[in-house]
Amino acid sequence: MASRRRMLLKVIILGDSGYVNRKFSNQYKATIGADFLTKEVQFDDRLFTLQIWDTAGQERFQSLGVAFYRGADCCVLVHDVNVMKSFDNLNNWREEFLIQASPSDPENFPFVVLGNKVDVDGGNSRVVSEKKAKAWCASKGNIPYFETSAKEGFNVDAAFECIARNALKNEPEEEM
Amino acid sequence: MIADGVEDEEKWLAAGIAGLQQNAFYMHRALDSNNLRDALKYSAQMLSELRTSRLSPHKYYELYMRAFDELRKLEMFFKEETRRGCSIVDLYELVQHAGNILPRLYLLCTVGSVYIKSKEAPAKDVLKDLVEMCRGIQHPVRGLFLRSYLAQVSRDKLPDIGSEYEGDADTVVDAVEFVLQNFTEMNKLWVRMQHQGPAREKEKREKERSELRDLVISVGKNLHVLSQIEGIDLDMYKETVLPRVLEQVVNCKDEIAQYYLMDCIIQVFPDEYHLQTLDVLLGAFPQLQPTVDIKTVLSRLMERLSNYAASSADVLPEFLQVEAFSKLNNAIGKVIEAQPDMPILGVITLYSSLLTFTLHVHPDRLDYADQVLGACVKKLSGKEKLEDKKATKQIVALLSAPLDKYNDIVTALKLSNYPRVMEYLDSETNKVMATVIIQSIMKNKTRISTADRVEALFELIKGLIKDLDDAFHDEVDEDDFKEEQNSVARLIQLLHSDDPEEMFKIICTVRKHILGGGPKRLPFTVPPLVFSSLKLVRQLQGQEENPFGEEESITPKKIFQVLNQTVETLSNIPAPELALQLFLQCAEAANDCDLEPVAYEFFTQAYILYEEEISDSRAQVTAIHLIIGTLQRMHVFGVENRDTLTHKATGYSAKLLKKPDQCRAVYACSHLFWVDDQDNVKDGERVLLCLKRALRIANAAQQMSNAARGSAGSVTLFVEILNKYLYFFEKGNPQITVAAIQSLIELITTEMHSDSSTPDPAADAFFASTLRYMEFQKQKGGAIGEKYEPIKV
Repeated sequence: MASRRRMLLKVIILGDSGYVNRKFSNQYKATIGADFLTKEVQFDDRLFTLQIWDTAGQERFQSLGVAFYRGADCCVLVHDVNVMKSFDNLNNWREEFLIQASPSDPENFPFVVLGNKVDVDGGNSRVVSEKKAKAWCASKGNIPYFETSAKEGFNVDAAFECIARNALKNEPEEEM
Repeated sequence: MIADGVEDEEKWLAAGIAGLQQNAFYMHRALDSNNLRDALKYSAQMLSELRTSRLSPHKYYELYMRAFDELRKLEMFFKEETRRGCSIVDLYELVQHAGNILPRLYLLCTVGSVYIKSKEAPAKDVLKDLVEMCRGIQHPVRGLFLRSYLAQVSRDKLPDIGSEYEGDADTVVDAVEFVLQNFTEMNKLWVRMQHQGPAREKEKREKERSELRDLVISVGKNLHVLSQIEGIDLDMYKETVLPRVLEQVVNCKDEIAQYYLMDCIIQVFPDEYHLQTLDVLLGAFPQLQPTVDIKTVLSRLMERLSNYAASSADVLPEFLQVEAFSKLNNAIGKVIEAQPDMPILGVITLYSSLLTFTLHVHPDRLDYADQVLGACVKKLSGKEKLEDKKATKQIVALLSAPLDKYNDIVTALKLSNYPRVMEYLDSETNKVMATVIIQSIMKNKTRISTADRVEALFELIKGLIKDLDDAFHDEVDEDDFKEEQNSVARLIQLLHSDDPEEMFKIICTVRKHILGGGPKRLPFTVPPLVFSSLKLVRQLQGQEENPFGEEESITPKKIFQVLNQTVETLSNIPAPELALQLFLQCAEAANDCDLEPVAYEFFTQAYILYEEEISDSRAQVTAIHLIIGTLQRMHVFGVENRDTLTHKATGYSAKLLKKPDQCRAVYACSHLFWVDDQDNVKDGERVLLCLKRALRIANAAQQMSNAARGSAGSVTLFVEILNKYLYFFEKGNPQITVAAIQSLIELITTEMHSDSSTPDPAADAFFASTLRYMEFQKQKGGAIGEKYEPIKV
């Protein structure tokens, strides 16, 4: 029984800027609601299906409510390396997630942090250094950190594999 | 549902969740044992919980999300089934045996998703089938959630260009058709929600409808999906997508939907598409319901386009090519016309956005900016000054935009309608705006170097320069007022032209404006103007004599004339102390220009003020020391003038109210007769006279104190006079003799040891250090040592 359940992983993406590759990035505000996508990841000769909810930088994400977060296997926190505030807000997002999803073991709940848009302006407009981001991740119980560029697809597969592996480590929440 | 049904609703939700979980449990068991029949049976029963009509959309959403997660497991199972050889076509048939329509359609969408992935049938056929079948649910909430489920599971399976489900070149059209159809149906259901149930609950339903916007279930989601379809090129957007979407928006005649969807359209589709379809998009606005908040939506569109224009210079030609400015301008005109009740705030907001837009897109077209301001004036005219706080704030934003853009008030000064808009501000906001202008100038160190511009500028900031209305403003905060006047003072200092003629004109212009400022402002504004003028005097003085003397119309003399009149205004306020200081400053400048009569005139002015206006004894002491100090440095005066002025100054000194003040002023006067660098001013005798007079006064002070308190006062004055003696002694004044010094020392010693003296440690220390100094000079040897040698300490 466990095997099928474990092949299907619910991932929630939070952050000031949404993550999933878009044809036109940065163009809309929080009018649209969360985006749902599935992504298949293969490793250890097994195929995993990630069911990804991307909140796309929503300000009003609280209205998504507990129902939205229930049963999440992994939470991905995204910041834009070119915007300091998006990095400063990571902590808020993390805490908000823990409040809303209230996982049974919040200390060990798997998070992954993505520093996105590293390709913008050839990296010249970058304000959040890798060191700084890694230091924060280390302070929160060694959260894995990836630098990505959704536009170029850089590091995206590695990040998703890590997300899947981390999600697997998490014991599924037994539903009552 | 009854109003007090919140508790009941909780119960129904709990029951729904329980039913759902129980069936999910059996479904899991069936999935684990690969029992397709049971899997279908229990999943259909699980989904039956979604058939409820008892839950508000928010609670229904709770239930839906749980079902959604469970259906993902079922979907995986279906996938595995097909791998095990079960035909997907058969599965697609099989799920349709479910007894109730709602579970049947959820299952169908779930299998459909796998069906498309299997590629056994073209994606477009399956999608078409699904979107048609969903018509079976016409209950608004249930229908919306079902269609939203369809949108979510089909999200990554559209036959878009570059997607793996693309059949042929026409399939993008199918994808678009599918999303548009789902969008249209969802919007109809959403709009229809308001007609469900009794009329008295209308407000509650409006709220529920608004909540749905923010949830995962939103009609706008479809627009987002459309915007992500790679295959939609500009032509298809222009010919199909936008007209179809707008048709639905306009025809639904629903305020909430129209506002929300117009906003969605603006946010989700790319800038260049908006730019190329401005006619169509803008054409929809006047067709919307009159209650729709058009100004916000339209402002957001302009904001987006402004940002786009600001993003790169390469896109600007596009704006020109489509004549974006005139189209937006027209559209705003039409909207304002179509909504005559639009509050003034809305109007200003629209123009403010348009102004920002044109500043970004056409920075070189000042006439556009002026045109927008002009339209604003037209709309404002006929109205009294604005009282609406938000509207005035918006005007400040409007007027600040050109300053922020050009970082240069000079450009804004060219906008003829700019001051006309300012007219409509109440005096408080007018001041705020004036402060913004001054801050902009200071921040950017803008050079304002012609009298014409200064004129225009002071016209703009007149809210700070004079009282605009007759009303008394007693409530004005003292600190705020100071702050604001200090900024005007700084501004005056900043005005500068290298051309003396022009600079003089600037000074006259500023003078004209500030003189009407009234008694509270003049003390702030006159000093900077005076110093600015004196700077010009020094500049002229530093220049070579103009060989064409007759052309040089501006001379120090002329400036001094203006200065005299300017400073005089302060004495009328009255601010005599300040005026006196400024007269003395002017006198010193005239001295440096070798203008004796002018300097004398300034001194006379200062003396008149001293005699007639300055009555406070502390102020007198300060003034007299300023006079002495300035007079001492003057070298321009001939013997006669100098005598008159020093005589007066000495006279004033002796007439001060308190003896110690008299004494100090009188001994200070001694310096008027002995100036180091002026050989003709070395009158030892009169120096001595001053010092002796000071001594007499010190004595008198001592006696007075004796009489009053029965004890002698401090010896400090005597020690101070001793120090003066020593100064002139060293300077070689022959009248100051060793004997005189000797007897003064003795006098002090006796005084200090007399029975009636009051102990004064400070005076003792002062005397002791004076003696030490003399000892030191003695030991120094040389000429000075020799001089001091005969004095016994």
